[in-house]
Amino acid sequence: MMPDISIILETLLIVVKAFIVTMVLFVMPLPLTWLERKIAGHIQVRLGPWRVGPHGVLQPFADMIKLILKEDILPYKADRFLFVLAPVLSMVPAFAVYAAIPFGESFKIPGIEREMTLYLTDMNVGVLYILAVSGLGVYGMIFGGWASNSKYALLGGLRSSAQMISYEIALSFASIGVVMMANSLSLVDIVKAQGGSLLNWNIFYLPVGPIWFAVFMIGGFAESSRIPFDLPEDEGTLSSGFHTEYSGMKFAFFMLAEYIAMVTISVLSVIMFFGGWNAPFNIPLPIPPIFWFVGKVAFFIYVFMWVRFTLPRYRYDQLMNIGWKILIPVSLVNILLTGFMRIG
Amino acid sequence: MEQLFFYIFAITAVVAAILVVSMRNAIHSAFFLIVCLLQVAAIFVLLRSPFLAAVQVFIYVGAVMVLFLFAVLVLDVGKEAFREHMHSQSVPSLVMVAALLVIMGFMMFSGKLTVPPGAYNEAALAKNTEVIGRAVYTKFVFPFEVVSLLLLIALIGAVVLVMRERGKGADRNKPEDI
Amino acid sequence: MGDGFKIFELVKKVLFTDFVKGLSITLGYNVSRSITHRYPDEEKWIPYRRFRGLHTLNKDEHGRELCVACELCSKACPTQCITVIPMEDDTGRGIADRVAKVWKVDLVRCLFCGYCEDACPTRAVRLGREYELACIDSRCNVRQREELLHPQPTPEAFEGGVVARATFIRKKRSIKVKADLMNTKKRSI
Ligand code: SF4
Ligand code: SF4
Repeated sequence: MMPDISIILETLLIVVKAFIVTMVLFVMPLPLTWLERKIAGHIQVRLGPWRVGPHGVLQPFADMIKLILKEDILPYKADRFLFVLAPVLSMVPAFAVYAAIPFGESFKIPGIEREMTLYLTDMNVGVLYILAVSGLGVYGMIFGGWASNSKYALLGGLRSSAQMISYEIALSFASIGVVMMANSLSLVDIVKAQGGSLLNWNIFYLPVGPIWFAVFMIGGFAESSRIPFDLPEDEGTLSSGFHTEYSGMKFAFFMLAEYIAMVTISVLSVIMFFGGWNAPFNIPLPIPPIFWFVGKVAFFIYVFMWVRFTLPRYRYDQLMNIGWKILIPVSLVNILLTGFMRIG
Repeated sequence: MEQLFFYIFAITAVVAAILVVSMRNAIHSAFFLIVCLLQVAAIFVLLRSPFLAAVQVFIYVGAVMVLFLFAVLVLDVGKEAFREHMHSQSVPSLVMVAALLVIMGFMMFSGKLTVPPGAYNEAALAKNTEVIGRAVYTKFVFPFEVVSLLLLIALIGAVVLVMRERGKGADRNKPEDI
Repeated sequence: MGDGFKIFELVKKVLFTDFVKGLSITLGYNVSRSITHRYPDEEKWIPYRRFRGLHTLNKDEHGRELCVACELCSKACPTQCITVIPMEDDTGRGIADRVAKVWKVDLVRCLFCGYCEDACPTRAVRLGREYELACIDSRCNVRQREELLHPQPTPEAFEGGVVARATFIRKKRSIKVKADLMNTKKRSI
């Protein structure tokens, strides 16, 4: 009888955790859109949203209502099947990534004598899984762009596929570097390997750590198609790229996927380079590890927005040059260096 | 439980594969090919090989299909090209498929297609990546290197072909923008 | 020489110096105070005296209308948006016995060039500092003499060029932002 109950509990726990993670991710873009506008405003010496609620905090809800009430347009001669499917295709992989992402180690649930892990699964191919699944999000853009029967959208889709191919290589190389430094493909092990103090973090693994971090961040910006690499939705030349023809909730799904991709890259950079939930140094206070994790992720989300309102967009050929002629050779040399350092 | 999942994945994969060849639109075919490849990846997971599954998704679905779609989107494939489906090869192809099925079925039922699991039991396969890595870099290092060389040759060949074409044209050395 | 310069450029690229410079500038702006006027909720911009807003018809110190209905303003107006109809009146309403029966200006056509005030021989018409001219139907775009004779909320003597505390008043047929001229501050831009 006994093992049965524990299996049921285990399953229940996983379902509950998956539910919580999904819900948090669903709600996450609301504060993030507000934050993004606020930061945009203050960087441009404006106020940002101000009128809906105190300091405009209710603005995202107003936007949500607007998006729900908007007419759902199906363009003339669009491919109905793929047009409807595309937003889902871009959103599902963004969520699926979080099946492998650890938010912390385990803690004891007060009351019942059970350990609860702060991750859904600790896959032994975690890094590969995340890279593979997050790469699938691009299909939403490609199919959405093609199915809308619009030239702008099609060009956006084309650009996103080319950008994806070019930068996923750099991103994977950076991940390989981290895997070499940690000797494991599991994200939990990668974080554990960086425990102790600040100096064990991968970013301080001199001299290769910072280079990997730079490659990873550039690749990550491109992968989540944020400025300066948001060529697929380049307003200046493509009106709004692959989602030109989308409106209402379908458009909201694309936005959701984009924000979650940004959070994913922030989370990954924290896990891979900044020691995950490890404290930077020994503090005698009982600060829960999740606090460090969330704090670091929040910092990186801020960096994403900060960069967005600092840099202009790259040209398409510059994008390709950076990807193929700089990032990939640098990564290859760096893999060699990392290998030597691991032997030595 | 596992059987159930296997049948779900297998049936979806087969249906998707059939849809790939019967769709009239290249993009729809590509979509179902992606579905099919994902199902195959899921079956890899059931076979205790998450590494292969991840690589399948990463390389086939994540990279090869994206490139494929890129090409299809750029090409202007007229509707007429898809009007005729079987290109008057239906009879030979049917015969070939039937023969293949018969041979495969015969081999399966006579037990010629199963391989004993050998040293790789559950516990060993828990370290999936390590097992594959060791096998590839020790026992199969020669074929592995040959394959790498082959890929390198193909890569250089592609570059050479493109360069030669570029050299011919008058002003082809401008970067092509999209 | 040239090589040294190139190496310097390369080092700059590798260390992302330009990038960091840009980021530090934006960070500085991010933490600096915003220059947004909180109009209409809390603040209102009071323009300088040279500002050309809604017309006002002035009176002299005895309360007599300065306008002598000479129609020079309507002749000078490039868009012909001022209509003046004179009449005789010796009750002391105006400074002369010729006053305006109708003096109206069509604000939709007015381009606020100020020619009317230049043409006026008695300095009766002036362009004031009122700029909230939006209204809810097309008739109220034509402002009549009676309305323009009311002194504007910002007196001529007030220097201007400041941001004043303001309250936003919302009524059924109109909205108004009432500035508190006693409570003003200069705003650097
Ligand atoms: S406002 Fe001046 S110019 Fe116009 S009619 Fe009156 S006095 Fe003449
Ligand atoms: S400001 Fe210019 S356009 Fe307006 S009423 Fe006076 S003269 Fe006419």
